Formats: sequence, C-alpha cells, structure tokens
Amino acid sequence: MKRILPFIIILVVLGAALGSAWYLTRSIPASPTLVTPVAQSSGSPVSQNTPAQPQQPVVYGVPGAEPAHVLGPTNAPIRIEEFGDFECPPCGIFHPILDQMHTEFGDKLQITFREFPLVPTHQHALAAASAAEAAGLQGKFWEMHDLLYEHQNEWKKEFDVRPIFEGYAKQIGLDVTRYRSDMNGELVAQRIFQDGKRGHSLGVKGTPTVFMNGREVPFENLPAEKFRVVIQNELRSGGK
Amino acid sequence: MKKLYAVAALLSLVGLADALYLTIEHVTGQSVRCTIISGCSEVLSSPYAVVAGIPLAVIGAAAYFTVFSLAILALFGYRIAGTLLTPVVIAMFVVSLWLIYLQAFVIREFCQYCLLSAAITVALSVVVLISQRKKR
Repeated sequence: MKRILPFIIILVVLGAALGSAWYLTRSIPASPTLVTPVAQSSGSPVSQNTPAQPQQPVVYGVPGAEPAHVLGPTNAPIRIEEFGDFECPPCGIFHPILDQMHTEFGDKLQITFREFPLVPTHQHALAAASAAEAAGLQGKFWEMHDLLYEHQNEWKKEFDVRPIFEGYAKQIGLDVTRYRSDMNGELVAQRIFQDGKRGHSLGVKGTPTVFMNGREVPFENLPAEKFRVVIQNELRSGGK
Repeated sequence: MKKLYAVAALLSLVGLADALYLTIEHVTGQSVRCTIISGCSEVLSSPYAVVAGIPLAVIGAAAYFTVFSLAILALFGYRIAGTLLTPVVIAMFVVSLWLIYLQAFVIREFCQYCLLSAAITVALSVVVLISQRKKR
C-alpha cells in the first residue's frame, strides 16, 4: 500500500487541478452577457451555431457617432465593429490581427472603429481618442488610428502626450493648427461620447470588444488563428 | 529530509493553484481584456505570456505539478524522484528570473500572481539546496 499511496495522491491532485480548471473556465462567462437584444429576428430563435463558439445574440444598440469610421464596402458579408482604446495593450495586439484579416479577406470585410477610451484606467486614452477623431475631421482617421496603435508603447508611459500626437498629425499631413483646436473642440468630444453611448447600449465593458454582424466575438477568439476561423464560419453561414 | 520533501510538496501545491488561477485568467480573458473597473493585466496580455501558442501559465502549472509529484514520490522513499527534483527546480528558477527580467525591463509592469509564482520558485530552490546539502 505504501508503494502505491504517492501515486494515488498525485492522481487525486491532478484530477482536482484539471477538474477545477475545467469547471472554472466553463462557469466564468468569457464575455459579459449582453443586455436585452432590442429586436429579435422575426420570432424565430437563432439556431445556426458555428462550430467554433456558441452563438452570441445579435445586438443593435443605439447609433454611435455619425458618420462612423468605416473601412471596406457597405454591402460586405462580414461587418466587424471594434470598440477600442488606443492605450489598451490587448487592443494594440489586436490591431495587426485585424489588419491581417483585412488583407486576407479584402472586400468581404467591413471594419468599423468605435472609440471606447477607458478613462479611469488609462491616463492618455481620452487624448488619443481625441487625436484620432480630430484627424478624422480632416479625413485622416485611419492614418492616425494606425500610428497611435503602432506606437502605443512609445507614448503610453509619457507624462505629456500632446507633442507626440502633434508629431503624428504633422507626419500624416494634417493642418496642425486646426487639429489642435479640434482636439479640444465639442465635435470631437461629442463623437467620443456617442460611440461610448453605443458601447454601453451594447453591453461593452472592456476593450477590445469586437462585434461581427451584430454578435459579440468572445475575447478568447480574437487571436489571429481563431479569429480567421470565426470569419470563415460566418462567411460559410452566409454572413447572416 | 522527509520534512523538506513535504515542504516542497506544499509549496508546489500553492504554486500549482497560483498557475491555475493565472491560466483561467488568461484563457477566459477576465483580466486580459481592459475594463473600466479593474484595468487590464499588461503582463498577461503581452506577447510574452504565450510560448508557441501555449499560455505560460499552463506551462507553469505543469511544472508545479511535476515538482509536486516528484516531492511526493521522494517523500515516500523513491530516491530517483528526489534526484530529479533538483534539475527541474533549477530550470524553473532560471525561467522565473527571466520572467522577472521581462516584467521589470521589457513590459515594465508587474503582475502580482506572476511574482507570487516567482517567490514560490525561489522558496522551492532554497528547499532543494538544503536537501542537497543534507545528502552529502
């Protein structure tokens, strides 16, 4: 018995470890449950489960800032909406992934970016969102969006980010005087507020939160190899 | 000697629980995603948290489980397990040093539970060192 006892103890611990890991990863919802879908698809329950994930409900929410920042054709079968914060590290990691998907799937994708700066969490998130929106008023939102994400590590630890963002504004050819006044202008503030309102109405609590054709893509499906499968599945199911 | 193996087993159990917690955080994205209330773990969401597609926390859990198994076997008189314990713990010590370096100088953020894991590994190393001395 004494020879076998250690193996029994080891097996019990292994079982307890695997069991608790299995139980906890199942019981904690990966993404916040979305509040009241505003409209249901004409009474019939959504039943087409994709193999990769349990289907999330379609959510509509209130409109965000208009016009939204959109890449790709409006009739694309896959509509992706990202709620992002330029200072958030996982958003910075997701940026090249989304870029890569855009290259791979081309016109099948339509990408919308929504501002969701986490103000008490990130000291420069609001300034970064304002910089992107101010660039947007001069038609260069995506250029600023890319620079902010790509250089996230260079500015997020700085005390004063304004001169850095002004440098980006110059780099992408903005009228810097106008950019500076727009940064603090009401239009930019309103756009960020409207996007935030839309986020709240969709139950967004963190960043990045990504919706595909109105359904939230669980956070753990955002790495490139998983996200690609999610997009492929959605394309196969007809993008509905 | 037996006491030392018991201490090593207990320490590795704490390490296992810690690594499991980090795994669950990592897999479910609980603190990996940034939120208004809690902020995000810059360490867990960094590219360094994954090696060849496997979350480091999972590798850590496997390492602590290995140490636990070896310590229990050694406690029940399997000599070979006690001998194997030393290289495993040394490897974990080196990896922990590297991870502390990454947190301090590359990511420039610390994650509490990652530090706890490093502390447990340091404690395990001390226990193993003492057991080596006693053997001589």
